[in-house]
Amino acid sequence: MAVSERSPAAAGNGESIALARSYREAFRRNAPGYLFLTPWLIGFFCLTLGPALGSLYLSLTDFDLLQAPNFVGFQNYIRMATADPKFISAIRVTFLYVILSVPLKLGFALAVAMMLNRGIKGLPVYRAVFYLPSLLGASVAIAVLWRQLFAADGMVNSMLAVFGIEGPSWISNPRYSLYTLVVLSVWQFGSPMIIFLAGLRQIPVDMYEAASLDGASARRQFWKITLPLLSPVIFFNCVIQTIEAFKAFTPAFIVSGGTGGPINSTLFYTLYLYQEAFGNFRMGYASALAWVLVIIIAIFTAFSFLSTRYWVHYDE
Amino acid sequence: MSNEARALPGQGSNHPYLRSGLLHCLLIAASFVMLYPILWMLAGSLRPAEDLFGGGASLVPSQVTIKAYSQGWFGMQVSFGHFFLNSLLIATLATLGNVLAASLAAYAFARLNFFGRKLWFALMLGTLMLPYHVTLIPQYVLFLKLGWINTWLPLVVPKYFAVDAFFIFLMVQFFRGIPRQLDEAAQMDGCSPWRIYYKIMLPLSLPVLATAGIFSFIWTWEDFFGPLIYVSDMSLYTVQLGLRSFIDSSGTSSWNELFAMSILSLIPIFLIFLFFQRLLIEGIATTGMKR
Amino acid sequence: MSILTVNRRHFLGAGLGLASMPVWGALPGFAAEGAQLRMVWWGSEDRARRTKEAVKAFEGANAGVTVATESMGWDDYWPRLATQVAGGNAPDFIQMDYRFMFEYARRGTILPLDPYMGSELKIADFGEGNLKSCSVDGKLYGANVGVNAFGTIVDTAAWQDAGLAAPSLGTTWDQYAEACIAYGKVAKGKKKYASADGSGSEQLFEGWLISRGKSLYKNDGTLGYEAADAAEWFKYWAELREAGGCVSADIEALYKNTIETSPLTLGYSASDFAFSNQFVGFQKVNKPTLALTGQPVVGNGKPGHYLKPSQMFSISSKSKAPEVTARLINFLVRDPAGALILGVERGVPASPEIRDALVPQLDAANSEVVKFISALTPYVGTLPPAPPQGAGEMNAVLIRISQEVAFEASTPEAGGESLVAEAKSVLKKG
Repeated sequence: MAVSERSPAAAGNGESIALARSYREAFRRNAPGYLFLTPWLIGFFCLTLGPALGSLYLSLTDFDLLQAPNFVGFQNYIRMATADPKFISAIRVTFLYVILSVPLKLGFALAVAMMLNRGIKGLPVYRAVFYLPSLLGASVAIAVLWRQLFAADGMVNSMLAVFGIEGPSWISNPRYSLYTLVVLSVWQFGSPMIIFLAGLRQIPVDMYEAASLDGASARRQFWKITLPLLSPVIFFNCVIQTIEAFKAFTPAFIVSGGTGGPINSTLFYTLYLYQEAFGNFRMGYASALAWVLVIIIAIFTAFSFLSTRYWVHYDE
Repeated sequence: MSNEARALPGQGSNHPYLRSGLLHCLLIAASFVMLYPILWMLAGSLRPAEDLFGGGASLVPSQVTIKAYSQGWFGMQVSFGHFFLNSLLIATLATLGNVLAASLAAYAFARLNFFGRKLWFALMLGTLMLPYHVTLIPQYVLFLKLGWINTWLPLVVPKYFAVDAFFIFLMVQFFRGIPRQLDEAAQMDGCSPWRIYYKIMLPLSLPVLATAGIFSFIWTWEDFFGPLIYVSDMSLYTVQLGLRSFIDSSGTSSWNELFAMSILSLIPIFLIFLFFQRLLIEGIATTGMKR
Repeated sequence: MSILTVNRRHFLGAGLGLASMPVWGALPGFAAEGAQLRMVWWGSEDRARRTKEAVKAFEGANAGVTVATESMGWDDYWPRLATQVAGGNAPDFIQMDYRFMFEYARRGTILPLDPYMGSELKIADFGEGNLKSCSVDGKLYGANVGVNAFGTIVDTAAWQDAGLAAPSLGTTWDQYAEACIAYGKVAKGKKKYASADGSGSEQLFEGWLISRGKSLYKNDGTLGYEAADAAEWFKYWAELREAGGCVSADIEALYKNTIETSPLTLGYSASDFAFSNQFVGFQKVNKPTLALTGQPVVGNGKPGHYLKPSQMFSISSKSKAPEVTARLINFLVRDPAGALILGVERGVPASPEIRDALVPQLDAANSEVVKFISALTPYVGTLPPAPPQGAGEMNAVLIRISQEVAFEASTPEAGGESLVAEAKSVLKKG
């Protein structure tokens, strides 16, 4: 387990003693970390890495699920780059979804969490009620529900009718259907909200007390205390929600019945990947799609990590 | 309740009653929007099947019947109660595993220095990025070779090896928010990393441990893809698998039974949520920690 | 000690053993004495109950045979089955669908049943048509579990309220359009359209093509129609849409190939098009009493309907006990002891003897289906040429292009052109 950080530079007499000492030193420094990491390392090498490399290999084959795969080199990647209009349209839909849903959802979650962090009556009830939609998760009932809300004669339009507005059938009109999925994502803001709440709870009260004594306004307290101390949690939510939004599958699958329609307007990247893999028997191509997605997400994540030095404050 | 009444920012208003009244109005209105789907599902579970789809968005059923509940509960050869027990067991085991294993790894990433830490961390995050559809088959082959098919092992054991990087990353972020002076002081006193982990880190991280617990439980409860692929014996079914056997999009579906059982399936996780969220409000702010 | 070593190697081999992937074979060591079959199907819980009961009867009659059953909904069924097949853990007994039969049979995943005909499988009385419709490239790959035809489901009362006769067997496409437009003029309330928009339905398009002497595909696997045909098809529906004879684009776009998203179920239209085996499901979620009739026809044209299996029972090519599986299939589709338990839940039985035995115990919706299949005979033609490899994708392409035309992002003529162009490129990919 012991891995030395620097190569031992000692030479000549007493080399072996110095070497042994430096190894012992390295062991002392590294052992606790690796000890705590052991369960994860086992899981990573035995359960996660194998299947991941497996899919990487499959992305270089023509695997059709039912027959043994044949190696085809980079053919899948070439097809993606040159001859697949659906790939381009899936990328477009997914980026739009990420750009719209992530900031809206996080903003909403943070606002509600701040509101619920006050000493108000009935707090646990509100918190639970606001979390309820997220409990519905991937339920097939969501599909029916969303139609009840956003179809031509749905609840949204009956409400608009009060103001004399005749709304379209939001959910089945290619111009608007993606936005109903954005609304769905924002509506299920429960998990980032809970994480924000836990983060807010970790901010020591005495900091606010001290600031109040100094006469700092609520707004100033928000900018000077809440935001900086919450920044690791905000950062976490940003990264996770962005990854999740890029990988979003269930909402589009359920609401569009797996079609990505009307006219590919809700064809999320992973939905397209799923169609290719299991509908059209092109698992090799789907695996290539997946790895391109990994690269896209990794670039985004790397940039967010690079940005942390400017706005995320750790107590170190 | 006393924990709730904390002095917090934004309370210096001149009209406390007006303000809190307005706040409650806002919250109640928002609650209705949040609850509407559940109410609609409840209404759906009480109305006859032929009323479900043509009727528009109305909440009030024309006719009330609770037939869907009894038919749903005993609809399959194994009763839904059995599925509830299965789900409860799996979710509990998975939650324990997740919280334990993830907190160990997170402590290492957040507080310990070791060679290759950044690389491991990046790899860990990387595991979040691959869509599960493409790892499905290699993973199936793996579990098949281990002889784990048609058991709960693929649903539970991986959690004890912290395969869900979400929880590790979550805890890392929170652990890094705990003042470093604490463990430095403990280290001076000769505390081992292990002692620091369970004497300082864990007690001070109750909110995040509770958060991880809630998510872990709820997500395992809601997961249907894992059980779908790995479990085939009906006596091993989870609630989600039971729910999905009401719907066959190519033919006859029992929608109101689905709604009825969906409502029931929400109750345990809702209770779990209510129970665990009390832990959320404790934590560093209320455990007497000052710095 | 040695057990431990073997286990560890096994474990590591599984985790890192990518090299073994191309040769995923059958699982060693799982087959036991007697026969232990695994059986999968899709369907809702009523089907599960009936099937399990019938399987129990089979186990009772065949000592030493045990059957482990697995069932799930349609959407979950195919990824799961594909995963099992890819993992080398395919079930012995597989419920198969007409479209997927071609994919599975041509890739050697399911077994030709011809060797069992006359011995384990005594289904010759299904008739040539019903055997042919379960065949790929001249070999039988499944036992027909339900005879199915594509038709029109109508809300008779809604048509009567409008003072019009509902479409029936033999109604021509022109008459259909006329009646729909007339309905649209007098209809009040929510059900203000006569018809769903059928322009995205591959089955309906196919029926229309066949009765005009064309087809979706030719025997050599090339396209059986031209851009002009498709353009005319889109035009028919565009005019109907324009005249208020069928639902608007955004209502039809709610349809997700499921019963509960059909404009008929949602209460927008007085008729929709569907397979006959879906009729019972339609009746379950529709309040008005529904009727089942044929597709519109072309006056003096060829019969556009044909009989397909609603689903079939197939045997995995990896099965260790194909004979026993074939016996089970025969028990379920041909032996009254099993077939009567299944009833008509999967569709109208292909065997005349079983069908006759079932008729007395049918409820209204089910007997409507049986009546429909019998009455359809004069309008039924021969099986059209088999779809070539990759044809399964065309369903989605047709839906998308029909929506582009319906939402007026494209014209019928342009739609026809792009349908043919995309079909050619899809078929080339294979």
